[in-house]
Amino acid sequence: MPVKKGSSGISRRDFLKGMGTTILSTAVVTGGGLVPDSATAALLDDTVETISGRVKISLRVNHKVYSVAVEPRTTLLEVLRERLGLTGAKPACNRGECGACTVLVDNQPMLACSLLAVDVRDADIITVEGLSTDDTLTAVQKAFVEKDGLMCGFCTPGFVVAATALLQKNPNPSLSEIKQGLSGNLCRCAAYPKIFEAVQQAARTMQRGK
Amino acid sequence: MFPFEYINVRELTALPDYLEKDGEKSAILAGGTDLLGLMKEGLLKPRKVVNIKQIRELRGIRDTRKGLEIGAATRLSEIEQHPIIQQQYPVLAQAVASIATPQLRNMGTIGGNLCQRPRCWYFRGQEYHCLKKGGDMCYAVDGLNKYHAILGGGPCYIVHPSDAAPALIALGATVEIFGPQGKRTVPLEEFFQLPEDNLLRENILAPNEVVTRIFVPRPEAETRSLYLKFRERQSMDFAITSVAALVQLRNGKVQKARLVLGGVAPIPWRAREAEKILEGNSLSADRIQQAAEAALKEADPLDQNAYKVILARNLIRKAFTQLQNA
Amino acid sequence: MAKWKSLNEMKILSSYYPRLDAPLKVQGKARYIYDISLPGMLYGAILTSPYPSAKIIRIDDSRVRKHPGVRAVLTDVHPTGRIRYAGEEVAAVAATSPEALQEALELFQVEYEVLPFVVDLEAAMDEKAPRVFSDRPNVRKPREREEGDIEKGFAEADVVVEREFRTQVQVHVPLEPHGSVVTWEGDQLIIYDSTQAVHGVREGVAKALDIPVSRVRVICEHMGGGFGSKLWAGRYTAIAARLSRQAGAPVKLMLTRKQDFLGAGNRPNSVQKIKMGARKDGTLVAFYAETYGTAGIATNANVRLPFIYQVPNWKHIHRDVFINAGGGRPFRAPGCPQASFSMEQMMDELAEKLGMDPLEFRLKNDPNTTRQKEWRIGAEKIGWSRRRKAPGSDPGPVKRGLGMAASIWWPGGRGTKASMTIYPDGSVEVRCGTQDIGTGTRTLVASVAAEELGIDMRWIRPLIGDSNYPYSGASGGSTTAPSVGPAIKNTAEKARAALLERVARNLGLAPEKLTWQAGSIRITGSQSQQLSWKEICQHLENEPLEVHGEWVKGLSSAGVAGCQFVEVAVDTETGQIQVEKVVAVADCGLVLNRLTTENQINGGILQGISYALLEERYMDPTTGTMVNPNYESYKILGAMETPEIEIILYDEPERGVIGIGEPPTIPTAAAIANAVYHAIGVRLRELPMTPDRVLNALYQEKKV
Ligand SMILES: Cc1cc2nc3c(=O)[nH]c(=O)nc-3n(C[C@H](O)[C@H](O)[C@H](O)COP(=O)(O)OP(=O)(O)OC[C@H]3O[C@@H](n4cnc5c(N)ncnc54)[C@H](O)[C@@H]3O)c2cc1C
Ligand code: SF4
Ligand code: FES
Ligand code: FES
Repeated sequence: MPVKKGSSGISRRDFLKGMGTTILSTAVVTGGGLVPDSATAALLDDTVETISGRVKISLRVNHKVYSVAVEPRTTLLEVLRERLGLTGAKPACNRGECGACTVLVDNQPMLACSLLAVDVRDADIITVEGLSTDDTLTAVQKAFVEKDGLMCGFCTPGFVVAATALLQKNPNPSLSEIKQGLSGNLCRCAAYPKIFEAVQQAARTMQRGK
Repeated sequence: MFPFEYINVRELTALPDYLEKDGEKSAILAGGTDLLGLMKEGLLKPRKVVNIKQIRELRGIRDTRKGLEIGAATRLSEIEQHPIIQQQYPVLAQAVASIATPQLRNMGTIGGNLCQRPRCWYFRGQEYHCLKKGGDMCYAVDGLNKYHAILGGGPCYIVHPSDAAPALIALGATVEIFGPQGKRTVPLEEFFQLPEDNLLRENILAPNEVVTRIFVPRPEAETRSLYLKFRERQSMDFAITSVAALVQLRNGKVQKARLVLGGVAPIPWRAREAEKILEGNSLSADRIQQAAEAALKEADPLDQNAYKVILARNLIRKAFTQLQNA
Repeated sequence: MAKWKSLNEMKILSSYYPRLDAPLKVQGKARYIYDISLPGMLYGAILTSPYPSAKIIRIDDSRVRKHPGVRAVLTDVHPTGRIRYAGEEVAAVAATSPEALQEALELFQVEYEVLPFVVDLEAAMDEKAPRVFSDRPNVRKPREREEGDIEKGFAEADVVVEREFRTQVQVHVPLEPHGSVVTWEGDQLIIYDSTQAVHGVREGVAKALDIPVSRVRVICEHMGGGFGSKLWAGRYTAIAARLSRQAGAPVKLMLTRKQDFLGAGNRPNSVQKIKMGARKDGTLVAFYAETYGTAGIATNANVRLPFIYQVPNWKHIHRDVFINAGGGRPFRAPGCPQASFSMEQMMDELAEKLGMDPLEFRLKNDPNTTRQKEWRIGAEKIGWSRRRKAPGSDPGPVKRGLGMAASIWWPGGRGTKASMTIYPDGSVEVRCGTQDIGTGTRTLVASVAAEELGIDMRWIRPLIGDSNYPYSGASGGSTTAPSVGPAIKNTAEKARAALLERVARNLGLAPEKLTWQAGSIRITGSQSQQLSWKEICQHLENEPLEVHGEWVKGLSSAGVAGCQFVEVAVDTETGQIQVEKVVAVADCGLVLNRLTTENQINGGILQGISYALLEERYMDPTTGTMVNPNYESYKILGAMETPEIEIILYDEPERGVIGIGEPPTIPTAAAIANAVYHAIGVRLRELPMTPDRVLNALYQEKKV
């Protein structure tokens, strides 16, 4: 791919720096398809950057920095699931309609199926797998287990992430605020009543924990 | 999705250089909530996708003496949660809060919301090469049209999907557009175009132009406003019909009235005649009823959407009654 | 005959306890079929027909084969080449990445001979309509059932009501789409399938590929919902297997959401013309129904009339109709929500004509003794006395109303086998070739085993979802708990007996001296002592104990009765129906787990509300395609539409385990319709009861 305007053959390292990516101590490199076949990522000057073909980018997911090869069209959901093996976020509609792929991007719940991976390079991404920093369950996860806030469970990671975000913003939500907060997540099994109970219980536990 | 080149532009001035005159070739990427859907369905195959989210001028909300300046790449959730917007521009806060879902409001931008493509199910399906896509028929006319336009339709009967637009028009917003020729500012109302004027697009933007800011004049004292959105499903749904209503009430008299309908026409539908009926009078039940009738006088429903006429009238009545009682 | 312990002896069963795999699921660690990744795995996809009716003339795959990353291509996936619905399989491809796959799909060049189609139920019944199958008329032979003499019956009737009802096509769309991951190990085919029937899929795929069943293994550890649409092998699984064989690599093939909407099953629609008569005293005497409906290219759009009421003289004629649309499949209580929607409204209409309270009228005509009690319980809980206000009499635009309807179900348990291995360290494996479709079957297996052995569930490792395990049927027809529960209990009983015998032998005692006591063995006689579970198992020394058991009579029963009461608010200015409260009295025999049972009942009710108010497949008349194959415009219920639900578990433990998954979805739409009538005084006889229909009905009848 030709690069427009005074391209100065900027190196990969500069490119990464240019993106303002902080390299954390635990850089994890995942296997498979890592070497860019036709990398043309370049900073034309400070103002414009073009990416085409397959390029290596770094993504900060669950407090780790991963280096992955993507194309501009690769979605965050594809990277998480196909490259990083993080299959918690689910592809149930792939069009932003169901919430099963909900992840936190800079602490905000967003839909991984509708984000380009190159667009979230300098963001903090937390998936359901990363909500807890050790092996224990978070208050929200525990409440989902205890109140049975799931049936088949395919929608559950999305709900857990959305509920976590909701309680971060509003630690003591009313039932109607819980419904609002979860209105972007569909559950075909319709476990909603138990999901609401779980969120209420999680709110209580978290309040007590403070 | 088809392969494309991703161009991340950080300076507004550089932007026009990267946008093609031919709309099929390049696409502006804001939150991507609409654009990626279109691309995944194969309805759009741009060779270049130009990210505008890192352009500083396009982000953020400024509260000035004259009103609000909202950058086009500002997330919907920022607008929804902005305390000043909630207090002084309720119609806008309510409209934005009614959009899509919490996740999508964290991703979608106000500029993208105004520029989003229609949701007509024929438009969204690859199978249907309809008028709006350069084909030679509108499938909705003899097909399934319960969600289609009752006003301003023909030859295409989409409804404009934006919830923000009716609210912004009721507030008298203008948009700033930037392109190869520099900046221009137009009233938001004139930004949108009917199919009879522009079949392929919904607004006056040229493919190499971008919406940069939205100016919302500060409502005059004693102004009340609200947004009523009716949807079939409360959890995520586009408006079947919505009403952005604003009145300035002084000593029981309507100084100024604004009524803009969503979900009923290919553009946000300003009901000027209804406004005139209300202005200069008290907000009596009678007047409101007259206004509601006037707003729908021209309605020309298709086979399956006559209910929207009733619905719109009732919502208008409800909206102004609520404003009266507020 | 086998018997369950009494409730107060039970330590685990019949209480509230969380499901065992919930921790994995809430952490995103449970691997669903969509999540499986095997070394060297390819991505497969199916090219489907955009036309509802066509002949495949030629498929040119030369560009596909040349595309980088493509490893296998099939152009003969359609058995006849005659396409009968938009979304039917045409060709398939497997490639090394999702991106290459997408590109490859666009490179097929298919030449079709496009043929006339019909997608409307009534249009298809016209003599001149295009035939879906050239060798058969679209309207199938009527199926008639009758009892008594309807002419005599109607002659005896003092009041008669005659009405027409319509129900829509509902699509299952479980959150995890249909699909499989397959791999060949030599001549052995291993399939990971998102399924409700590992054994059924095994047989289906073996047949499709013409290989012995013994060479096929189907695994389904976790799956994302089915509701009846995943009861048997889909074409996609055999296609994936063939792609995999061609490429010599594992293949993952998941349907897209759109394909899931188009060709993975649905609940058929119905038109029901019903006439029903009663005597002045409120006794039903005659019922006559003519119904027809379409399951697309499949059959069985039948409606289970005359539903639950006792009518001495009745006749029902049903006709299935073919149209060019994806085939119907069983959907949670097939044929029942449709029947309840019409029949329960007929009941209310007749009651009104007779000047009787709908409750009283039902009590008079419902032969089921359990439900007789349930009707009263539910009526009390919802405050049925408020039903006395006249329909549509609330002042103001928002009007409230109450309605009720019944549920019913038949099947009980059936042949299921299980095995159990007890290790000398006390740990236990239980194997059963059933699967957990979200109902908590894995937990059920562990809890029944633990209860019967008298030990903590932590000792038990339930192994399900694999056709290598002993046979169990499909998770359908609400048969899973009544089939699997007894089989596990029987296996555990046998294990206990075998353990006891082993201990007795080791100790050189007569088995009569040993008795089981809550997870331990008590030895009576000279050296009276008690052996703990660990001590018992130590007697196995180095040889684990393996026992086999099966479903036996006496622990489950067929027949379910229930009812629901609903309160709605209808906004007459917008046509919006809001369900405010549901009271469900659920017949549930012996409840194995109250938590998961309540969840199932909630789910059934909520799917019922979704069916009543939101869901509808729309077929475009011009192109014969579905215009809303997505979750945006095929609207399913979300959090905001979830009302307060009060569940009354009507236990009858002496009946053993019965199925509870399907019945709760049956009465909901009907109860809502009755409540809507009470609220606004206008009847809605067509589903879904969307705002446009409500407004049109109100304005037609000039009620506003
Ligand atoms: C499931 C779902 C439900 C939804 N429900 C609603 C709803 O209820 N109400 C509602 O109003 N909307 C709804 N939307 C639409 C949503 O609000 C829009 O997709 C979103 O606002 C678009 O913003 P974006 O930043 O993501 O735009 P993008 O997807 O990035 O862009 C949308 C379009 O606008 C163009 N564009 C973007 N920014 C600019 C700019 N500054 N100048 C010129 N062109 C630009 C893009 O090229 C593209 O064509 C829904 C969307 C989805 C997917
Ligand atoms: S309404 Fe417009 S977009 Fe929809 S089918 Fe007709 S022409 Fe196409
Ligand atoms: S998969 Fe992303 S919203 Fe459905
Ligand atoms: S638990 Fe099955 S979709 Fe939510």
